[in-house]
Amino acid sequence: MKHYPYSVPKDVIGHKLIEIARDNHNIVVLSSDVSISTNVEMFHKEYPDRFFELGIAEQSTMSIAGGFASEGFVPVYVALAIFSNGMTWAQTRQVCNAGLNVKIIGTHAGVDDGQDGSGHHATEDIAISRVLPGMTVLAPSDKNEVAAAIEAMVKYTGPVYMRVAREEQPVIHSENCTFPIGKAEVLKDTGDDFAVVFEGSALKQALEGFELACSRGKKGKLVSVRTIKPIDRECIHELADSVDTIVVVENHSVLGGLYSTICESLAGKRTRAVIKSVGFCDTFAESGSPKDIKEKYGLSAEQIIKAIG
Amino acid sequence: MKATGAIDFDNLRVIAHDNRKKILDMVYFGGSGHIGGALSAVDVITYLGECVIDYDSEERDKFLLSKGHAVPALYAELHHLGYIEDGELQTFRKINSRLQGHTNLHHMPLTDITTGLLGQGLSYGVGMAFAKKLKNSRDHVFVMIGDGEMHEGQIWEALMQAGHYKLDNLILIIDRNGLCSHQPVENVISIEPLRTRLEAFGWNVKEINGHSMEEIHSCVSGLNSQFGKPKCIISHTVKGKGISFMENNGKWHRNVPNEEEYKAACEELRLSGEETI
Repeated sequence: MKHYPYSVPKDVIGHKLIEIARDNHNIVVLSSDVSISTNVEMFHKEYPDRFFELGIAEQSTMSIAGGFASEGFVPVYVALAIFSNGMTWAQTRQVCNAGLNVKIIGTHAGVDDGQDGSGHHATEDIAISRVLPGMTVLAPSDKNEVAAAIEAMVKYTGPVYMRVAREEQPVIHSENCTFPIGKAEVLKDTGDDFAVVFEGSALKQALEGFELACSRGKKGKLVSVRTIKPIDRECIHELADSVDTIVVVENHSVLGGLYSTICESLAGKRTRAVIKSVGFCDTFAESGSPKDIKEKYGLSAEQIIKAIG
Repeated sequence: MKATGAIDFDNLRVIAHDNRKKILDMVYFGGSGHIGGALSAVDVITYLGECVIDYDSEERDKFLLSKGHAVPALYAELHHLGYIEDGELQTFRKINSRLQGHTNLHHMPLTDITTGLLGQGLSYGVGMAFAKKLKNSRDHVFVMIGDGEMHEGQIWEALMQAGHYKLDNLILIIDRNGLCSHQPVENVISIEPLRTRLEAFGWNVKEINGHSMEEIHSCVSGLNSQFGKPKCIISHTVKGKGISFMENNGKWHRNVPNEEEYKAACEELRLSGEETI
């Protein structure tokens, strides 16, 4: 595999929010006692008047974000995905029902908080956020793309949920990359045997699987979906018409996540491609390093190779 | 806050009485709705609409009806203020109506919050109170919750948060009518000693008869000059107030009167209206 520099995508969150807040005085950041884990403690130090530590009270914090948005502010609620998303569905639904301009960041996507065990794994967040009317769901990959996605999210008007990896990811984007919401990105294209399509926090495995397949003589494409909702239908349909196999790779349950989203977008359409999934199969995982969990539960380059066939 | 001169309490009572008739009509002609909790809350809501919330201003005090099922009381007052037309009241809860079954920002932005799930309104109030302080605004945020709504855990999260941050521009009104959906709050899960609990959470607590315009006015205006703590008014009320066979009767939490009951309620309101005038 080609050598890339590696970094932790979530570590860019605080820096980027500080940068945006210099010009955008309506940004406020909300935390549920996880400001160090999520890298927003530096925002707290830089802008103490615009940082709100609300304690281990996620439901109330989400609705407080709704209150800020109702008064014209742009609240960014940052917590581990299982907290900012998993603990707050009814409150998030009400935010979406009102169409409020609330930004939600869920760090430690998928099984990235591996050692804490299945109770801390966020393997259903795509599923439960994308079903909410009016919600936009983003899944950027490396640190530079996460920074660009935060900027795009703040500029966009309406509720947005963004999941961010805690595990190290190869840095494949430049610092000046952009994040057009709703557009997938074809990262590599060597032919039409297969396409590996992934959500951001599965970048490492997707890239490894793609490169392994190519090293074994297959020709294919590597596509970062980036936006789960609205899905880039045009890109997905073109892929489905041009390759033999699409392998959908996600650090998430295969139920309701990216695989489901892509299958839904192709339903009723006669296509060339067979669609296969690589992700977690309707199961709770266990404690362990994220790497070990991903390998044991099927999120790996080897599984991608098997799916390509 | 609205600039008001001397308060005409008799006039407030007449308006609240008219609002009661509108609540009855909305639920009867709409064929659905929560009449008991609207009738308990309507005096406070009428007072706030007439004397406090300046709905004509963009930047203003906010009123969040967290017990959003009591929204007929708010629609009635907004009708009195001229924001809802006469014919609209009978469209309550019907398709294509602005008058949704719970407050809804899309359909009626003046209601200030979208509700439907109990327990969330006080947290919205906390967020708005923070925001108003950031704006250096002197506006207040009023939130009304039901006493049964206090069973929601999120309420206690917000009580802690507001107390910790000493949000003295936040005024919580608890419509203490004593009944949940059909039975006494105290029989379901006790919330007493309520005042002691709220004070322990850092709140400045007052108790009033929520059907007395004089007491409502005295309490709300008195709290304006008190600082350093969020404020709570425990508003003691009667569920179904004003229609005798609905009063303190859990059956009328959510029930639509039949024709006979509707006529009896109208007649009772007509007679009590003459007394009020």
